Amino acid sequence: MLDVRELSVDYGAAPALSSVSMSIAAGELVCVLGPNGAGKTTLVNTLAGLRHARAGSIAMDGRDITHLPPHRFCAAGIAVVPECRRLFTGLTVRENLEIGSYLPDARRHRAASLEHVCTLFPVLRERLQSPAGVLSGGQQQMVAIARALMARPRLLLLDEPSLGLSPMLVEVLFGAIREIHAGGTAVLVIEQNVTMALDVSSRAYLLDEGRIVAQGTPAAIAADPELRRTYLGMAAPSAST
Amino acid sequence: MTFPSATLLAQSALSGIFIGGLYGLLGLGLGLTWGLLHVINLAHFGFAFLAAYLCYQLASVHGVDPLATLVLLVPVFFVAGVAVQLLLERFRISPLNSLLASFGLTAIIEAGIQAVWTADFRKLESSYAGYKLQIGALYVPFPEVLTLFLATLLSFSIWAVMRYTDAGRAMRALAQDPEMAAAYGINRAAHAVLLSGVCGALAAVAGVCLALGFTLTPSQIYAWVGVVFAAVMLGGLGSALGPLAAGLIIGISEALTMAFASPSWAPIVSFTLLIVLLVLRPARA
Amino acid sequence: MKPDRVYAALAAAGAALATVPFLGLPAFYESFLYLVFHWIVLATSWNILSGYSGYFSFGHGAFFGAGVYTTAVLAGKYDVPFAYTLAPAAIIPALLGIGVGAVVFRVRGVRGELFALLTLAVTFVLATIVLNTPVDGGPGVYLSAVPVPRLAPTPSGSFYVMALALAFVTVVIARAIERSRLGLGLFAIHDDEDAAEVMGVPTYRYKLLALGLSAGLAGIAGGIQALFVSYVTANSTFNITVPLTVVLMSVLGGSRHWAGPAIGAIAITVLLYFSTAADQAVAGKAVVGAILVVAVLIMPRGLLGHWQRRRVAANGHARPAAAEVTRDDAFVQARDGNTRNCVLSLRAVEKSFSGVRALAGIDLDVSEGEILGVLGPNGSGKSTLINVVTGHYRADRGNIAFEGHDITCWPAHRIARAGIARTYQIPRPFPHLPVRDNVALTAIFGNAAQRTAAARACAQQWLDFTRLGARAEAMPGELNLHQTKFLELARALAARPRLVFLDEVLSGLTPGEIDEAVDLIRRIRDSGTTVVFVEHVMRAVMAVSDRIVVLDQGRVIAQGNAAEVMARDDVAAAYLGGAHARRA
Repeated sequence: MLDVRELSVDYGAAPALSSVSMSIAAGELVCVLGPNGAGKTTLVNTLAGLRHARAGSIAMDGRDITHLPPHRFCAAGIAVVPECRRLFTGLTVRENLEIGSYLPDARRHRAASLEHVCTLFPVLRERLQSPAGVLSGGQQQMVAIARALMARPRLLLLDEPSLGLSPMLVEVLFGAIREIHAGGTAVLVIEQNVTMALDVSSRAYLLDEGRIVAQGTPAAIAADPELRRTYLGMAAPSAST
Repeated sequence: MTFPSATLLAQSALSGIFIGGLYGLLGLGLGLTWGLLHVINLAHFGFAFLAAYLCYQLASVHGVDPLATLVLLVPVFFVAGVAVQLLLERFRISPLNSLLASFGLTAIIEAGIQAVWTADFRKLESSYAGYKLQIGALYVPFPEVLTLFLATLLSFSIWAVMRYTDAGRAMRALAQDPEMAAAYGINRAAHAVLLSGVCGALAAVAGVCLALGFTLTPSQIYAWVGVVFAAVMLGGLGSALGPLAAGLIIGISEALTMAFASPSWAPIVSFTLLIVLLVLRPARA
Repeated sequence: MKPDRVYAALAAAGAALATVPFLGLPAFYESFLYLVFHWIVLATSWNILSGYSGYFSFGHGAFFGAGVYTTAVLAGKYDVPFAYTLAPAAIIPALLGIGVGAVVFRVRGVRGELFALLTLAVTFVLATIVLNTPVDGGPGVYLSAVPVPRLAPTPSGSFYVMALALAFVTVVIARAIERSRLGLGLFAIHDDEDAAEVMGVPTYRYKLLALGLSAGLAGIAGGIQALFVSYVTANSTFNITVPLTVVLMSVLGGSRHWAGPAIGAIAITVLLYFSTAADQAVAGKAVVGAILVVAVLIMPRGLLGHWQRRRVAANGHARPAAAEVTRDDAFVQARDGNTRNCVLSLRAVEKSFSGVRALAGIDLDVSEGEILGVLGPNGSGKSTLINVVTGHYRADRGNIAFEGHDITCWPAHRIARAGIARTYQIPRPFPHLPVRDNVALTAIFGNAAQRTAAARACAQQWLDFTRLGARAEAMPGELNLHQTKFLELARALAARPRLVFLDEVLSGLTPGEIDEAVDLIRRIRDSGTTVVFVEHVMRAVMAVSDRIVVLDQGRVIAQGNAAEVMARDDVAAAYLGGAHARRA
């Protein structure tokens, strides 16, 4: 469904992504791991249309969307939950969700989608009229994910959903992510929490300094010495401790 | 300084309400572009005055009913607003630079007005000016009632659109975080151009109200700048109802000042209020 | 051109122009040139505040008008000899300006367009007061009976001489300010007032000074103008023309340059002359407006600004290397000899934001002369740690001691003066100051407190130390990421700190650049500064740190030798999350 070839993106003058190639099949749950500065957020932002690629291509169902203007990426079936959520804090929760379903296709199913996200995140039902800015971090994260779901995407992009949340909330969140995936939506998750990410995904990519250095099943990645090297800067100790 | 009679005070307060309505009407367009597009458009005043002069011309010289001129002027100035925003879209412009550029545009419009209509005072003599309602001992001239009515109608309409329609929500989201709004399919440029056109149309309506109630002369354009900015800042940038409420407050305080002191002191009220507001509540959009 | 040559050229031009009234030309030329000088004064004086510091004022008309009316009332109504009215015509507007500034500059939110509006409002308030009080009262003030000082064969010649003298003085003042500490501070305020404040620039004082000078000079111009027109009214004095025109002239000519407004003034006055001569005064106003629109949209830096950029781009010449920054042997020896002092210590430091505990009780000691690496996953509190120690935030609880002083509650600029410097994760150089001035700023206003010329030489030294010496004249926008980070370093070092915090200076650099940076970090330490750096690039951390500290969830979970610490299970767990650590 999503086919990324040789994607190169710059951050100012420096390369943030170099020749990244990856793919996501319809309904798949894929995670992208890597230390800070590896380029994970740049990858998500480029897939969402917020960043311009210098070279390479992004295709959705065979259609090249690389050079579309930013506001057309959503119509291609991609919805993003960015790092730090970026809710419209001056609008109410309900209005945020309505913006999520701004496009005509999504708008037609607005009522049904609203019901769906309120079932997924029951706490939202009581908070629909609250300004989004007064909610707690965990609740804001739920609103951000709900907003993306209102767009009825084929591919959901999640950038560090667990950032700043307590372990308990993280469990709740990942439970919701499993449910979303079970409903048929493809998901791309960027996570610092390696264990949780590998637990829910069917495939993983490891990004380091703008390049893909490993990919495969969660078990394969977990055992891959590259993982330890990129995160901890050294080879794994020879004997298990 | 003799204490004015109750009737005089009430009449003053009433005229203050009416002028406040005009402040609110002028402030509506200005505040929307400032709050939602981060463009400070001084040319809003230029457009309003140009519309006023055109209304005067059509009504005085060609005998068109002043209210009927709205049919022509509103679309024309909608297009003018669209054109200005399309031009601005090509340049990434800071709010300060938009203030400067629109300052220049206003000077051009003022020069154009002066070239066509000279600096002589122009007063639109219409039958509307003659209508007066009477409420007890108070006189209520029709043009002013009309202005207040239009100001209220338009302010509430825009408020409703902002609150209850997708387009309005999209505008508010765009003002907050244009990148994320685009990520959900909202076309920033298209919405900006649309809003600018609407504000141009609002300027046209304000212009017709100006023509109905006031004597026109080109240099008067700048007389309104201070007081309308005060109304916008007091009412809140990007707010639909704020400038109207603020305009009414300012209008009444001005009118009462004029009742107690001499009319030429009136500008001090609004400008001092603006200064105080800017110092106590610097509202950054 | 060298500074003294510019002043000499100006003096020569001034002397040459001063002979004009004695050449017996028709009065028209003297009056026309009077007008040119008059606008040069108004535009240049406006620029001293608004162009240099970025506080665009629409109120120059108020100060001009105050000067006009001071002279008009004193000379026209009270028969004070004209020459004696000029000092009050300078002082009263200056006081007005300082009075407004004293209130307004205290308010952080009033900048940019808000300041412009406020000053416009001040103009109209002043106009109303003048119109409604005995100052004018309505009919205007006549000065036709006031004798004109005999400085030249004819009255128009005398006005010419007065205006020439004032223009000369104003331009010289503008030039002098541009080269001075005041000018540097104003330019820094223009680019980033908060950063300038943190660096020690006395922003409030400088802005007041600039406003006072600007207003005073405009006032004198007003005083002379009052006599020139010999009949003043509130409407003609306080209308929109003066504020609009001075903005236009400065923007057109280049508001960052001392000569920009003068060039703009000459251009516009000539242009307006041709349109009025052709009996098109109204068209003249339209042309002025059109030029403003075009200038703001297409040439925001004005004529001189563009010319300057092309000149700098062409002259990429290399500077001779200044003396190497000396290695502080005593410092290095003390470190090697293990007689280490503790230079910074934190005890139980806590900091929360809206209920989120960024720092949950930090205990840390930094020894003099060490290179300490601070690591930890995202959200572990590394950036907050730097921000709290450098005074950007105040700790909720706990103590921070630096070289024996308790700095827990000190404000940022005081901590900077005490000898702690930092770089920013996202570099924030002043975009419109050349590289060398960016560095010199810290030297002038920070810990070292040097004089301008010495500071610039010192800045060159630090630029050479960070291998940026050849780019000293470039603008920060022309540097790549690697060079910008090194510029940040040079700025931090120019304050001669005892302790420097480096916040992710290596992210985004290529392996070769990282090696250079690592070498630089060592040299920094060797020159006498303790280094604490926050980093993710593991390779660099392993290569250069003496010791590392790992944070997780706002606490220190491990410290010690780099290789040993990173092999620990709990550290692996912090990075990779729980169960994973046991799989390896």
